[in-house]
Amino acid sequence: MLKHVWLYIGVLLSLALLVIFSLGGGLWGAEKSIGHWTGNLFWGICHQMPQRSFTFNEVQMAVNSRCFGVFLGLLAGWIAIPAMIRLVHRKKWILWFLFLAVIVQIIDYSGNLFHIWENTNVSRAVLGGMLGFAASIAVFDLFKTDNKIFEP
Amino acid sequence: MNEENIKQEEQNFSFNDYWPSIGIVGAIFSLISFVAGLFFGYQQINSEPTGSFFSPIMLSGVIVCLVTSLAGLLAVWHFTREVSPKLKLGQGAVIGFLTGAVIVVISVILNELWIMLVDPEYTQKILESTIANIEAMDMPQSAKDDMIDAMAESIEQSQSFLRQIFWGVPITGLLNLITGLIGVKLFAEKEEETF
Repeated sequence: MLKHVWLYIGVLLSLALLVIFSLGGGLWGAEKSIGHWTGNLFWGICHQMPQRSFTFNEVQMAVNSRCFGVFLGLLAGWIAIPAMIRLVHRKKWILWFLFLAVIVQIIDYSGNLFHIWENTNVSRAVLGGMLGFAASIAVFDLFKTDNKIFEP
Repeated sequence: MNEENIKQEEQNFSFNDYWPSIGIVGAIFSLISFVAGLFFGYQQINSEPTGSFFSPIMLSGVIVCLVTSLAGLLAVWHFTREVSPKLKLGQGAVIGFLTGAVIVVISVILNELWIMLVDPEYTQKILESTIANIEAMDMPQSAKDDMIDAMAESIEQSQSFLRQIFWGVPITGLLNLITGLIGVKLFAEKEEETF
């Protein structure tokens, strides 16, 4: 059994909804996502450029490929927390992994910005997914149930 | 130490304990977000259309999104420094979510005030400049039309004060909730394992 189980379930459901809504209007039979309520939901945090977004049911998603990768990674990482509690014993690499994921984002974005290389929707989604996954699993040990006390 | 003592050490905080961290960090980050948005916004307005995808307004979106997502983490840091180093995971989640909500509300208010009091044409100028940049892009006309439609609709939606808050709080709040949890991991007092 996890510690803070209701918090875990609440965040799990919120992240699942985040991913579902980010699929955009195509999931709800709309012809486009911009102007649809799913597009409105992500307007403040995503540029929603058609050229940089995946499509779902032939309709542009409500978020761009990198944001979608981040959200999917957050959900995947959150789902992985119970397994990580059982399997992972060394914890130090987790924060280094998060740091690495942030650095890789910055390098990827900068490389594209300065025309050193051109990334694709898939590469942006994969790197975004890495960041989301790393952010979720960074807190896995806080859900671990064991015999602990506060040090006086 | 038995279970009773552990419970005595755990602290229950009221919202009055949370608000200084949420308010201060939320206000600072919304100000950063607002100023960065204006800086890149006016850069966009005053620049010649280059046809580059990486326009100032696009950079603004990315920077503001990344920076504001860190607010939950810093609000938890502030709480552990100023109120109590001991913090439960759920309390960190509440601080993170509410910090995100505060950022959205204050940013929207500042933007509305700017448009009402300082530059009523700001939104229109941004729209025109962004459309000019898209028109200069090297891509098929249909793709340009799609982007222009998306941009115009996005900016039109930003007109309503309550809609911006209604749609903005859940997502920004959730992202800051996650960084708030990371803040608990990084800054809250650690529990010592005893075997």
